[in-house]
Amino acid sequence: MALMSSLLLVQGESPRTSEYQLKAVFLFNFVQFVDWPPSAPQDSQPPPPLLIGILGDDPFGTFLDETVRGERLGARSIQVRRYRRIADIEACNILFISRSESERVPEILSAVKNRPVLTVSDGDEFASQGGIIQFFTDKNRIRIRINLDAAEAANLTISSKLLRVAEVVRTPKR
Amino acid sequence: MAIRDWPIKRKLTAILLLISGLVLLLTSAAFVTYEVVTFRQTIRSQLATRSRILAANSTAALAFANEADAREILGALKYDPHMVAAALYDRNGRILATYPAAPSADLIPAAPQPDGYRFEGGRLVGFTPVAQGENQRLGTLYIASDTKAVSDALRLSGVIAIVVLAIAMLAAYALAAALQGRISAPILALAETATAASTRQDYSLRAPKFGEDELGALTDSFNQMLGRIEEQKQELQQHATRLEQRVAERTKELERRALELQAANSELDAFAYSVSHDLRAPLRSIDGFSQVLLEDYAAQLDQAGRDSLQRVRAASQRMATLIDDLLKLARVTRTEMRTERVDLSGMAREIVLDIQRTSPDRQVEFAIAPGLEAQGDSRLLRVVLDNLLRNGWKYTGKQPQPRVEFTAVDENGDRVFVVKDNGAGFDMKYADKLFGVFQRLHSSAEFEGTGVGLATVRRIINRHGGRIWAEGIVDQGATFYFTL
Repeated sequence: MALMSSLLLVQGESPRTSEYQLKAVFLFNFVQFVDWPPSAPQDSQPPPPLLIGILGDDPFGTFLDETVRGERLGARSIQVRRYRRIADIEACNILFISRSESERVPEILSAVKNRPVLTVSDGDEFASQGGIIQFFTDKNRIRIRINLDAAEAANLTISSKLLRVAEVVRTPKR
Repeated sequence: MAIRDWPIKRKLTAILLLISGLVLLLTSAAFVTYEVVTFRQTIRSQLATRSRILAANSTAALAFANEADAREILGALKYDPHMVAAALYDRNGRILATYPAAPSADLIPAAPQPDGYRFEGGRLVGFTPVAQGENQRLGTLYIASDTKAVSDALRLSGVIAIVVLAIAMLAAYALAAALQGRISAPILALAETATAASTRQDYSLRAPKFGEDELGALTDSFNQMLGRIEEQKQELQQHATRLEQRVAERTKELERRALELQAANSELDAFAYSVSHDLRAPLRSIDGFSQVLLEDYAAQLDQAGRDSLQRVRAASQRMATLIDDLLKLARVTRTEMRTERVDLSGMAREIVLDIQRTSPDRQVEFAIAPGLEAQGDSRLLRVVLDNLLRNGWKYTGKQPQPRVEFTAVDENGDRVFVVKDNGAGFDMKYADKLFGVFQRLHSSAEFEGTGVGLATVRRIINRHGGRIWAEGIVDQGATFYFTL
């Protein structure tokens, strides 16, 4: 009973805040379960940071910054970047597409097509639109849907562990 | 029965069993302890391994808060009945999923504890970090296992130990029972032989020997001892027989001699008696006719003739006294003895009165101790006292303050009567001649006497089974001692 109530408490406190808090953690955790193709060897020391980009309105507030602060993946630090326009997008590793950009999803996706960028969004139908990871809510819980075709197209390897906890879809044949 | 009174057989068996039992017990305890310790280590490392596998599998479930997946992963634990409970905590220590799905409240800690595996309250519990990649801590896995496996192992090794112990003790008992005989058998045989030898006094027995060890040496010594005893016993017996023979021979000879002596003595006594008796008649004639001559023919005799006749009379009277004494001496030997209680003090006083009556002209101090009594023939004892007291009176004749004592002392439990005077005494080198017949230390001119008195005294004392002896110093007195 104590257990149940504590679980309820987690999801009970200000739903929207905690939703994006959780999504921020998920976003960070993707770093652990996804392999990017090795980038061209660079002599620069230290190695380039791992970039998490946010396109459009930032729904995380400070959560994402707090989540990645001080964290590293091997020798690489993790940094958060915010983009207003598609043209701003650099060689980021993860690109979160805000709901504010839901109208422009195909355009955005085609912009990063064939680049090793893990596209993530909580917009409806994002996965079937060709995005790689889509957050959705099921029975009041945040779940993950993965478009495996899109991931392969982006040359990303997704850990089977991640696939295990996610719902896997394929790009609908047109 | 006290342990020290146990038979050697039992003692030996008990010692062997005690030692082997103790060794086996310690070994078994070590075995059980080792089994349990290693088994605990084994199940701990097994739990650690299982925990790490589960932790590796639950990274994604924790990373993406997938409760259903977490529960499914933990659910796999149901295939191991020893797994009591499990839980996954997220990075913030909140529980994501539990096994069983609805656990009782005390099964799962509300918050994760330090990583590690430990035995706690009858359970083995482990907290394992769940991490993805190098050090990305995602949460904690908790697993609790019951320790039934440990207690099962303990029970199994305990049963094995007990069975081994029982078999080993049985074997030890059988061996001890079989082997103790090697030590106890010679001792028992020795003891049996010793008992038989001492109760039956049969020293021809020999203890059987079992080996050349200390017990064998003991058996040899014991047998040698028996042999020596046997030899000595035989020697002793031979000596005893020889001695007995000699004693018998001597006794026979002595008896023969005694008989001869007795015969000779009585012949002698009879001879002396008849001689004395027969001598009296002619003596009386000599004296009588001498008296007739002196009275009826005094006128026809001159003074020298009368003197000679007077001398004849005196000599014949002295000879009559001598013959009387000799007859008395002979009578002492011949008369029957009548033993009774005799008041010696009273008897001595009567004798003293008699002496003083017959010789009132001499003043001799007599000191007679009162209450002296003895067992004996009163007539004979009167002769003894009479002789001794008269001797004392006689030999103090030249003493200015004559004194005679009659007392008694106790010496080594014997009553010793003492007659002591302060008279002429005697030289101790003649002490052994005092009691001989006709033996005199003084001349008749000095002190009159026949030399028969002390001989008579000695005879009487001897007939009473007593002893008489004397001490004297010349001119200072004599002391006579006698026992009855």
